[in-house]
Parts: sequence; C-alpha cells; structure tokens
Amino acid sequence: MNGAAAFSLWAQKNRWVWSAIGVLVLWLVLSVVTNRFSLSSLSGIMLSASFLTVVGIGQMFVVTTGRGNIDLSVASVITLSAFVALLTIKGQDANLAIGVGAAILLGLAVGALNSLLVVGLNIPAIIATLATGYVLATATLLSNRAISGFAVSPLLKTLATGRVSGVPIMAVIAIAGVAVTAFVLRYTVFGQLLSAVGQNRTAARLAAIRNNRVIASAFIISSVLASLNGLLLGAYIGGAFLEMGQPYLLQSIAAVVLGGTLIFGGSASAVGTLFASILLILIVTTMQIVGLPPGAQDIVQGIVVIFVLALAGRQVLSRRAAVNGAGDADAVKPETGGIAIRPE
Amino acid sequence: MSHLAVADPEGAATMPAVRPDVVSLAKITKSFGPTLANAEIDLAVSSGDIIGLVGGNGAGKSTLMRILCGATSPTLGSISFAGQSVNFVDYDTAEAQRRGIRMVHQELSLCANLSVAENFFLETPGDAVNRPGWRALYRARARAALDAVFPANGIDVNAEVGHLSIAERQMVEIARAAATPGVKLIVLDEPTSSLDLDRSRQLRTFIRERARSGLAFIFISHKLQEIIDIATQVMVLRNGRAAWRGDAADTSIGRLVQLMGGDANSIHQHSAATQSSGETLVKLSGFLTAGLGHDIAIGRGEIIGLAGLEGSGQKELLHAIFEPDTARDAAVARSVDAGFIAGDRQKEGVFPLWSVLGNISIGSLARRPALGLVSERANRDTAADAAGRLRLDDKRFGSNILELSGGNQQKALVARALVADTPILLLDDPTRGVDIATKQDFYRLCNDIARGGRTLVWHTTEDAELLACDRVLVFSGGRIVKELSGEAITESAVVGASFAQQADAGVGSGHRASGVGLARRLVNAAPFIGLAAVLAVMISANPAVASIFGLDLLLMPALSLVLVTAAQMFIVGGSEIDLGVGAFAGLVSVLSATLLYDQPWLGALALAAAVAAYAGLGGLIQARKIPAIVVTLGASFIWMGLGYALQPTPGGASPEWLSAMFNWSLGFLPTSIILIAAVALVVFVIDRLPLGVVLRGFGNNPTAMIRSGWSPTRYALVRYLVAGLFAAAAGLSLTAINTASDINSGSSFTLLSVAAVVMGGCSLLGGVISPVGAIAGAVTLSLIGALLGTLNVSSDFNAATQGLVLIALLTLRSLTADRRSEQ
Repeated sequence: MNGAAAFSLWAQKNRWVWSAIGVLVLWLVLSVVTNRFSLSSLSGIMLSASFLTVVGIGQMFVVTTGRGNIDLSVASVITLSAFVALLTIKGQDANLAIGVGAAILLGLAVGALNSLLVVGLNIPAIIATLATGYVLATATLLSNRAISGFAVSPLLKTLATGRVSGVPIMAVIAIAGVAVTAFVLRYTVFGQLLSAVGQNRTAARLAAIRNNRVIASAFIISSVLASLNGLLLGAYIGGAFLEMGQPYLLQSIAAVVLGGTLIFGGSASAVGTLFASILLILIVTTMQIVGLPPGAQDIVQGIVVIFVLALAGRQVLSRRAAVNGAGDADAVKPETGGIAIRPE
Repeated sequence: MSHLAVADPEGAATMPAVRPDVVSLAKITKSFGPTLANAEIDLAVSSGDIIGLVGGNGAGKSTLMRILCGATSPTLGSISFAGQSVNFVDYDTAEAQRRGIRMVHQELSLCANLSVAENFFLETPGDAVNRPGWRALYRARARAALDAVFPANGIDVNAEVGHLSIAERQMVEIARAAATPGVKLIVLDEPTSSLDLDRSRQLRTFIRERARSGLAFIFISHKLQEIIDIATQVMVLRNGRAAWRGDAADTSIGRLVQLMGGDANSIHQHSAATQSSGETLVKLSGFLTAGLGHDIAIGRGEIIGLAGLEGSGQKELLHAIFEPDTARDAAVARSVDAGFIAGDRQKEGVFPLWSVLGNISIGSLARRPALGLVSERANRDTAADAAGRLRLDDKRFGSNILELSGGNQQKALVARALVADTPILLLDDPTRGVDIATKQDFYRLCNDIARGGRTLVWHTTEDAELLACDRVLVFSGGRIVKELSGEAITESAVVGASFAQQADAGVGSGHRASGVGLARRLVNAAPFIGLAAVLAVMISANPAVASIFGLDLLLMPALSLVLVTAAQMFIVGGSEIDLGVGAFAGLVSVLSATLLYDQPWLGALALAAAVAAYAGLGGLIQARKIPAIVVTLGASFIWMGLGYALQPTPGGASPEWLSAMFNWSLGFLPTSIILIAAVALVVFVIDRLPLGVVLRGFGNNPTAMIRSGWSPTRYALVRYLVAGLFAAAAGLSLTAINTASDINSGSSFTLLSVAAVVMGGCSLLGGVISPVGAIAGAVTLSLIGALLGTLNVSSDFNAATQGLVLIALLTLRSLTADRRSEQ
C-alpha cells in the first residue's frame, strides 16, 4: 500500500482532516497572493471563528442524533441571549454572575422546550425548533424595547475581545471547549450513546439505551452553547441588535457538515467543526479581501454547503448500498450441503 | 414501461394440447458471500400452470421470485421466455413487466393516500389523459377487476386505500395485478394472509378460472391446505434447493411439512436439569393467555420457545417483555432486567459506523451512568470474554461490523447481550440467515446460559430449534393458543397447533376509536375555524373591514403568502421541506423589478433560469439522497446573495403589465379573494390531474412507485418545478403589490408557509395536498398581524403568536394522530 492509499484510508476515518487541509491551503494562498496577511490577521480570523465554533459544537450534538435533526432556533437564542445579557448585567462586573446564570437558564429553558416538542410530542426537529425560534423572536423584540443602553461589563468585554500575548482569549475558550467536546464524544459513555442513537435508533433502543434522554440532552447542549455564545458575542460587538444571530444559522450547519460530521447522524467531529469554522471565516475574509459584494459572499457560502453535501451524500449512498447487500444475504438461509429428508 | 394490450389472455385461450412455455429458469444459483440463497434451481412455468411454492423462512423462495421478477440477478443460471433465452444483464423489473410477469408483494405496494382507482392508474398510466373525468376509465377498470376476482366485495373504488382494511387492500392489490393487460404470469406472495375463508375461496376460484384460459400463477403460501387445494404442481424449497417438485395430487400437508422440515443436524436438547427455581421472572396473563385458561410464569434457567406462523404475535411478546406496559393490569410483567438480541441485524441490530468491538461494548455502556469514562482496554477484556464463549475471533474486533459475515455479525450481537449481563435474554429469531457452524455455537451457548441460571425467551421461525426449549408457547392471531413442554415438544405438535388455529385468526383490522376521530376532524377544521374567528373579531372591531375595499386592503398582502404556501405544499407533499422558498420569491421579485423592468427579454430569461435552477435543486436532492432542509437552507443564501448583488437596497419598479394583473376590479367581489380562490383552484386542478396523483404517490410510498416503474428523480424535478413556478408567481405578486422590490420581502414567508401547510392538514410525512385548508391557514396567519393591531396588541407579538399557533396545532395533531407510524 503506498502513501496516498494509506492516507485516503486514514482520512476516511478522520474526516476533519479535509477542513484542516482547506484552512491550510487557503491560508497559504492568501499569504502568497496578498502581503497584508500576517499572523495577527490569523488571530483575527480565529477570534471570529471562535464564536462560530461554539454554536457549531452545539449544532453538532443535535445533528449527530440523526434523522435529519437540526436546531433552527440557535439564531434566535443567540440574539435573545445578547439582549438578556444587556438587561441583566447592565455593564457591571458585579452582575456578571447573574448574567451568566441567566444565559445558562435561557439555554436550558429553550433546550427543554425543544426537547419536549421533539421527543415528547414527536414533532419533527426542524419544525419544532422553527416554532421555538418564532416565540423567541418576540421575546427579543420585547427585550429590545426594555434595554436602556449598550453597556458591556468590562470583564466580559475582556473575555470576548481580549488577547493574551496575541492569542484571543475567546479562541482559547473555543479550543478548550472543542477539546472537552472531543473528549466527551470519544471517552465518555454519553458520547458512545449519542453515536449509537444517531446510527440506528431501533438498535439503540433494543440495546437498552434511553434514546429520549440522549436526544433531549443534545438539544439542551445546543441551546446552552448558543446562549453562552450570544452573551459573549454581545460583549464582542459591544451591545446587541436584532437579527445578530441570523448568520450563525446556516454557518453553524455548514461548519458541522464541512467538518466531517455526518448529516445523517451517528458520527461527530469536534475538531472538524473547529477547522471548518475557521475555513468558513477564511472564505468570507477572502471574499472581503477580493472585494466581492456581500451578496456574492452569501452565494459562495450557499454553494459550499450544497457542494459538500452532494459529495458527502455519495459516501453515505455507497455505505447504504453495502448495508443493503448484506441485508440480502441475511434474508436467506445458508447452504448446508444437501437436502436431508427425515424418515417418517 | 409499456402496457400494450397486444393479446387479451382470455382470447388466446384455446387450451392447446401442449401448453406453451411462459418462462423457465434453469440452474439458478445465487450466492451472497459464503452463503447460497439458491442452488441450481430449475423452474419452468407453462401457460395455465398453478405452481404452489412452499418452504420455510429463508428457504430461498423470495430470492427466487426476485430473480424471476428482475429485481435481482442470479450468480449463475439462465432465463428464457417461450424458448427464447434472455440475458440477465438486460433483465430488470421493467423488462419482466413487459414480458407479462406481475408480482403481488407480501408487504403491499399500494399508495395508501390514493384512491383505489388511482392505484390502478399507477400500474397502467398509458391510458390516462389530462382532462377532467380521466379517472372514469380507471374507476370502471378497478370496478370490473375487483368484481371479477372477488364478487360482491363492496369496495368503493373512490375510497382512499388507507381507509380500507388490510384484507381489502390485499384484494385491491391482487385485482390490480390480475387486470393488467398482457399479463402472462402472476406471482402471489402470501395472497391470503389476511383474507377470510370466503375471500380466499373466491380468489382460488378465480385463479382456477384464469388458469383454464391460459394465465399462469405461482402461489406462495404458508397455508398448506390452500396449496394442496389450488396448485396443480408444488415445489418445495429447502435451504436454497428444490427439495421436491411434483403434482399436487401426489402430496399431502403432512408430507409437505416433512419436506420443508427443520435442519437435519441435531440441536442440543436442553438438559432439563436446572428447572425453574420457583421464582417468577416474567408473568404472562390477560388476553394473551385467555385461550389457555391459565397464566404463564417463566422462571430462572428456563428456555422458552415462541412458535407459530410468522407474525402471529411472537415478536410483539418479545417487545412487550423488553418494554413492559406500566399499567397494573398489563398482560406482561417482568421483575428483572432483560436484554434483547435482534435477528433483523440491519434494521434492529448493528451500528453500521462502528467496529465489532464498539458494537459489542455498547451493551454494557447503555447500562452505565452517562458521564462514566469508557476504556478501550476494559471494553476489550469484557468483550473478549463474551466473544470467547461464542468462538468469535477477537482479532476481528477492529473490523467494521459490516465486513463480517451474517453469522459473525450475529455473534457480535449475542456478545453485546452477554456483556450487558441481564438475567433474561430475549432472542428474536437470531439464527436467521446464519451458517450452520454458528448455529451450533449458538445452541451450545444457549444451553450454557440457561444452565448458568439465566432465562431465555426465544422466538424462532425454525421449528426444529424449538426442540431445544423447555417449554414452547404456540401463537396464533396474537394470542398464545398452546403450551407445550418437555417430551410433548415435537415439530408436528408445533406445526399442528399453529395451523389448527388459523381459521380463528380472522381479519383483525379497521378498528378506530371514534373519539379520536372527532378530535382529528376538529383539528382538521382548525384553519377554517381560525380564519372565521379572526375575520369575525376584526369585523366586529371595525365594520369597515367587511367592505370590498377593506377586504382587499387586508387580503391582498396575503396573496403572496398564499402562493408561497402553494409552493411549499408540493414540497411537503414529497415529505420534504423547503427552507429557501421565501428567499426564492424575494429573488424573483428583485429580478422582476429590475431586469424584467429594464430589459424584458433578459429579465424573462433570468426568471426562467431561476426556476430551472430551483427545479434542478430538487433533482439534485433526490439523485444524491441529501437532506432537502440543509440543501434548501444553503440555496436560500444563494437566492439572497443573488438578490443583494442585483439590488443592494430596496427599489426598482413594477412593470406596468404586471401591476395591471393584480390591479383590476370586478366591483362586486374583492380582487384579492378572486385571486386567492384562483390559486386554490390551480393547485386543486394540478393535484387532481394524473401528474398530481403521481406526485402524491411518491410522497406516500416511493418504493411502490418505483416498483410500478416510475422514475423518482424525474418526478423530484417535476415537483420542484411546480413549486418553483408557484414561488415565482409569489415573487411577481410581491413586486406588483409593493410596486417595488426588496430581497428580504419574501424571507418571512418560508416559515409561515410551513406553518400554513401544517395548519391546512398536510402531513409532514408527505403525500397529502389540501389546497383549501392550507390556503385558509395562510390567510389566517397573514391576518394575525392585523388582528393583533385591531386588539391593540403590539406587533412584537406577531411572531410569537404565529409560533405558538404552529406549536399548538402540531401538538394537537401529535396527540390525535394514529400511533401506527411510530418507530
């Protein structure tokens, strides 16, 4: 087996590598083509990518539960959380604990509502989270009227925008989060149960896994992470505005899919989501450097998502064909080498 | 697929002395990896033959029939029609149908959401025309076909198949196959499994009649007395080989049972040393044991076999023991933990992405706390112990589970149950499709496990395996009809008990709770009630609303949402959701207010290209089997991006002719109401045409559609084309109504359209188009803003109201829905 074949075999199991390669290539091209690119601009990209990573990780948990589950409420949660942070913290570090508590509480509440609708009432996840998003949109409008000013707690501001020896604190937070997630997925019982539920729900149930609990926790994780992200994002931009979470809806899904997490569920890659987030931000940055209008940036993002899905779809197809082939074999009894008719 | 009625089989029936050969299979061998499903089977069918095909589960019947019908190619062997040989490379289902072979599948292939007549259309679409009344032909055909096979059947050919009982569906399916023009051979797979005695007799009479006029039949059934009664010849398959073929007159039920019999290889008899220690682990009572007259207690160390004809309630009992009903008077009660070993490995057993080790260790992980740590080494040690008992080589732990043979996959599943270490093990036909060596390992293990004090409840379709059990419960019609133990367990006793009770097992279907039915009707009427209520409130608050001008002012903005809803409805009808449809309408609006206004030709071209791109997306989704939600969400960014690029800020102007289309008045009726009604009418007409029927068919049962020869990709394209046209119309209406365009103007419609479609009664599972309900829903939703204004509620609550309406409706639907589709 030569090196290329060995790599392709390895890459099949480590799908995150593609997004990592993408980051590397695009980064090199940008560095060569433009002189403006430097390490400090990379840290800027890391900073933007960190916010996307946090939402993406949450989205990844939901996608991994399978059956086309997607959390469409993340955008509204981000926006609402940013407003709630303004309302609770009021620019005072002293109120920070309350603010973080409120953000977590908001995430828990939305996650619980989504779980109730999806798991308890059997409503398809897309519709359920869509409807939740509507309700949150109104809550956002109401809190928008209630806020008195855009003051951000200095401590939170430091967390969201500060750097330690050139490295954004936010990037450290995101990378630490990715590390924890990767550990949970790989080395804890929960990670294994999540993957099992996403691969084959019936088999999971018959293996005594409590599917409902696993699915519900994925939705709760997603909402809590989106909510915390909203808190930090608000601090980063120094306030909050309506629709501020909107770009994260498609981008979080794109980051998950690009990062090698299977859209059909069962297999997740936290590292892949991190690299894919960086890649997406790099693409947007590139387009800004090239001077493409904002509309063109949307178009490119949309095409990237569809293109990656169309490619990934084929892998799943061939795998499915393999399963079906094996299924045929199962439908029949084997050869036993002769017909034995028992005497009467 | 052509349906040329070249030769009416009835007319050609002059019964020549030598009956012409219809089709013959020679030396058919089919292997799946190491296992042989069919081995050198010869099967010649002459016109007028009625061949009874019998054999145990997995004897190779279905593989042979799949080869005959072109669904599978054999490894070796040949097929010829009337002496003319055909290469298997060119032989597929469409070719088989062209040559007059039709199969009635056991799992019925009708579209439940279509009427009986429409299902007849799907099979012979060639005669349909695009004009009102096209169904009349198929109605007449269905009527005639049903009456020919089942006189006095009383089936309404206009009734939705989903509303028919299982028996009636089976009758429709049989009649449909029999009525196909040009048919020469009909394969009936368990055709009488849910027919009562009279219908079954009618079917047999019909078969005899048609056989006399030259039609050939292959009749597969477990009901051996029917085979003896109807067949002219009988073929017995066993372990993939033809065990016997001869005249039906030369055989008997007893002889057939014996020919089909279990494996000759002896099965370890369970040494009845460790008998139940008195402690009851599982208790069966209530309706389950009503026929026995006493409850059944299952104790420690027992092996309990579940027998009976397939689908008589054995699986249900296993699942009930696994997840007992918590009600106090439940028929099944269990006192200790139970583990499950699935026999349907692909659907219920394996985790396809994982290695063998992962597939085994999940058994113990599932019972540990969620935040516990997983250690590969500990997993390996535990699994190695279980695998050793099963003779599963632990060198294979690293392989993907799908790379293993069926037998070794099954060993991994058994190992999964062993590491879970539960006092009760439930086995769901685990030796299905497993090689004999694995079976022997498995039987040995079962004895070990039972001797170790664990209880096995074992559902098997191989009667010989029951000899290994301490007790056997024989099922029929969902109940236990006989309990055998010890020496009384013999194959003939089991077969006797399962067949003896067959007559009692009538057609058990068609029970519907009327209370739930009423609730469902109320939910279905919700959009109309809602619309009426909203309008009533608004008119009472402001009587001017009721004027023509007032209604127009209120309803004209609803028109765009109505159009987007129509588009979404066709997508949802195909069990998908389009999250880009609103953005697409916005893009069309921008195109029409800019390009179309400035350069009409270029604009028209751009619009056509946009619609084509939209349709192409549908084709892509189907061809690559990728989730529509994500693709359309991605597409929404493309539509938005294009819109922004064309027109960064709102503006543009509406072409005059376009404005004129929406700006006329009849004086006595609000224009908006006429336009909305027109949209409903167009949707209704498309839905009623043959095209609409095909689209709905795909939404309900794509497998059946493909079996009838329809192309899924082509109709995905058509579906998205229709939706794209409606969405484009919505975009044009936006431009005309606003006399300018804004790329964001359509965005809010996406989610609203989904809500409206759901309100209107369309199932998100697909297959339902209800133009009036969905459009009433759309109008209601778009009025919510105005209603809140009338009630002096801030428009901030608009979105929340819409969201809550959606949640409330879905909750109601979920609570009143059939529980059939679950899991």
